[in-house]
Amino acid sequence: MKRFILAFIAAFIFIFLWGWLYNGVLLKDVFAEAQSLFRPREEMMGLFHWIVIGQAGLALAFVMIYASGFAGGGIAAGVRLGIMLEILAIGARCAIYATQPFPAKLLVLISIGGFIEMIVTGVIVGAIYKPNQSLSSS
Amino acid sequence: MDWKKFFIAFVAAFGFIFLFGFIWYGKLMHGAHQEVPTLWRTEADFGNHFSTLVFGHIVMAFFLTLVCARFVPGGGPGACATLAILVALIYAGADLITFAVQPLTTKILCGWIVGDLIQFTIAGAIIGAIYKPAPAHTTFVKERSP
Repeated sequence: MKRFILAFIAAFIFIFLWGWLYNGVLLKDVFAEAQSLFRPREEMMGLFHWIVIGQAGLALAFVMIYASGFAGGGIAAGVRLGIMLEILAIGARCAIYATQPFPAKLLVLISIGGFIEMIVTGVIVGAIYKPNQSLSSS
Repeated sequence: MDWKKFFIAFVAAFGFIFLFGFIWYGKLMHGAHQEVPTLWRTEADFGNHFSTLVFGHIVMAFFLTLVCARFVPGGGPGACATLAILVALIYAGADLITFAVQPLTTKILCGWIVGDLIQFTIAGAIIGAIYKPAPAHTTFVKERSP
């Protein structure tokens, strides 16, 4: 349980920092090209807690999936899980692209950032979370 | 991996996800979506991007089937539905982030989260019911000769 909580906290901190650096700083100008699809900055700041809650939920779900079937495989299993979850997310992003007038460039860049985010999250969770030895005979 | 069962499970999951998406997001939530019309493509433009929508659903169904097949070794609707709920929670987290950055209404946010949970839970159960790998050890009992 202790390692589960540690893995969750570490994953959450990374997702939060990466989200800020990649989406908030590096892609700032690309997001500005589709400004009509986003809230004004002040409004976004007023809803900032939802970003934090969403990222915490994402980190928690990642660790729970890893702990339920991937644990024991270590970092490699964490990376595999991250890649699979990101490809699932790209599927959803395709559906978003079909319904909302996002520039394709923005979604491609978000997906590249998503891959990095999920792979590193997999490395972090795989390195920290170790299943109980007595229960992990498989 | 039993590829025949995998393929059948994938096709069934895709059929369900696509149909559910059409009914839930396209029909039942149509009114809620129209509260923020500037966020969506026009009907004609959506028609031009319909193939991307289908492709996205194929990717989702394929990788959900793959996750269930590889990491729920025993298969079964309950275990796969549980894993799919966790996958839906990742989508719910992404929905919350989207709500903070895009001018979605609370009604749309709740509809998306509930839709994700229902869609993935049922899709996971379908996959688990169809994809059941053959047992690793099979005991053959020889019939006694008369």
